[in-house]
Amino acid sequence: MTESAAAGIHPQSAATHAPIAPTKLTVRDLHFYYNGFHALKGINMDIPEKKVTAIIGPSGCGKSTLLRIFNRIYAIYPKLEAKGEIVLDGENILDSRYSMNRLRSKVGMVFQKPVPFPMTIFENVAYGIRHHEKLSRADMDIRVEQALRSAALWDEVKDKLKQSALGLSGGQQQRLCIARGIALKPEVLLLDEPTSALDPIATGRIEQLVEELKSEYTIVIVTHNMQQAARCSDLTAFMYLGELIEFDRTEQIFTKPGKKQTEDYITGRFG
Amino acid sequence: MAGNSMLYSKRRIKNIIALSLSVVATLIGLVFLAWILWETLQQGIAALKPQLFIKITAYGEDGGLANAMVGSFIINLIGILIATPIGVLAGTWLAEYANGTKLGESIRFLNDILLSAPSIVLGLFVYTIIVLPSTSLTNGSTTFSGWAGGVALALIALPVIVRTSDEMLRLVPSTLREASLSLGIPQWKLTTQILIRAARSGIITGVLLALARISGETAPLLFTAFGNNYMTFNPSDKMSSLPQMIYQYANDPGEGLHAIAWAGAFVLTMFVLLLSLASRLVLSRSKVSHD
Repeated sequence: MTESAAAGIHPQSAATHAPIAPTKLTVRDLHFYYNGFHALKGINMDIPEKKVTAIIGPSGCGKSTLLRIFNRIYAIYPKLEAKGEIVLDGENILDSRYSMNRLRSKVGMVFQKPVPFPMTIFENVAYGIRHHEKLSRADMDIRVEQALRSAALWDEVKDKLKQSALGLSGGQQQRLCIARGIALKPEVLLLDEPTSALDPIATGRIEQLVEELKSEYTIVIVTHNMQQAARCSDLTAFMYLGELIEFDRTEQIFTKPGKKQTEDYITGRFG
Repeated sequence: MAGNSMLYSKRRIKNIIALSLSVVATLIGLVFLAWILWETLQQGIAALKPQLFIKITAYGEDGGLANAMVGSFIINLIGILIATPIGVLAGTWLAEYANGTKLGESIRFLNDILLSAPSIVLGLFVYTIIVLPSTSLTNGSTTFSGWAGGVALALIALPVIVRTSDEMLRLVPSTLREASLSLGIPQWKLTTQILIRAARSGIITGVLLALARISGETAPLLFTAFGNNYMTFNPSDKMSSLPQMIYQYANDPGEGLHAIAWAGAFVLTMFVLLLSLASRLVLSRSKVSHD
């Protein structure tokens, strides 16, 4: 492996060449096939702990595909296949012996469109917890409140916890989905274009929330909004046609990208 | 500028034509509905009095349709109670477990065939699988029965419920499935606690529509429930039903019986109309709450 390739997969601070933070997720030689179509071509990257890693790239480059492998949600559809390794805390999550239940309690996910369950606001958060843990009523109340507070939603919903979650605004629903995800106390939080269905004000609140959450969670966010990646991530990965072109500190990517393709994309020459 | 306004008025004219045609089409449908209601009401008004709901058919022209209404209620109830659980489960399986598989597609296709099967064929089928065996097993003490009628109606309601449950579940966005599964929730919990709840109003609508469909069926009851001029609450007996009495009275030369048949037809039509309205209401309410 050449030195530049190594730098590409393991982001380092340019001055010291020291890693930014310990690695949480290690991706090694990852290939992905949609019904035979080769969608990801040998991805290698080290995602650091308690940082925000953004994945950018034009539509169809494989950024959502990559994210959806981190919690193996792709596996609910037939004819999709991942090859390679993704190591989380020393274990390969792509190994079929790795329990799906355990993986999904460790790796939470928030989707493009807010998808509250057809239940009350309280139940939306409590539902997932109840599947993984047995809590007393009082403990559950505390847990739900904590999750809603961390998702910056508590003040808006504390008086209507028993109302249907479907009555909330889009931005509130999306924060509810984040609350639902972090209520399980995951270690990694995957965000798949979480603001693409929201207005600018709701988007601002989610971005602020991402900033607050990174002290506790390793966050990977897929976005097609480059400003968003620049604003709220520590590291940025640029993908193109199923390959990881460049992965470095966000500042580096947006000021001095190492590859021509990255530069062309962030300056808007294609995409 | 002139070209633009020409284009605009052309579109306006097209719009007016399309709109008037669809209004006319709607009116044609509504006119027939109103006509049917008016005709049945006018012809049956003489018989539309309390005794229609109190007296039994054994009194003939001086009687009512009480036993037929009770019979219809019990037979329809049996039909819906059999068809609903099977139909909802089958629809769930088609939408959640067999979607996209060859087996699922074939069963969906077969269900559509059952949906359009002539109801008299289903009646004959139930006659051979229930009425004949029960006659020989009980040495003739149980022959035609409310149970057999209920099963025949269940066979008619079943494909309607399978179809609507399947479609309503497939309308639930796949993101809801992904969101639940990504919390580690297993498929069976997702299906029973989230998806069925999300599709609930659509499924209820399907059941109400199936009930509306079977409550007007006559042919399958002729060979199964047969008819009974006396009041009975026991489904093991022969049972009367509203459509079957209408059919019988309409074929009778007695003028008084015709009026009773018309009144029965009016009650039946109103019942089906109200069921359809109820199902619309259930569906529209859920739409408001989902947005």
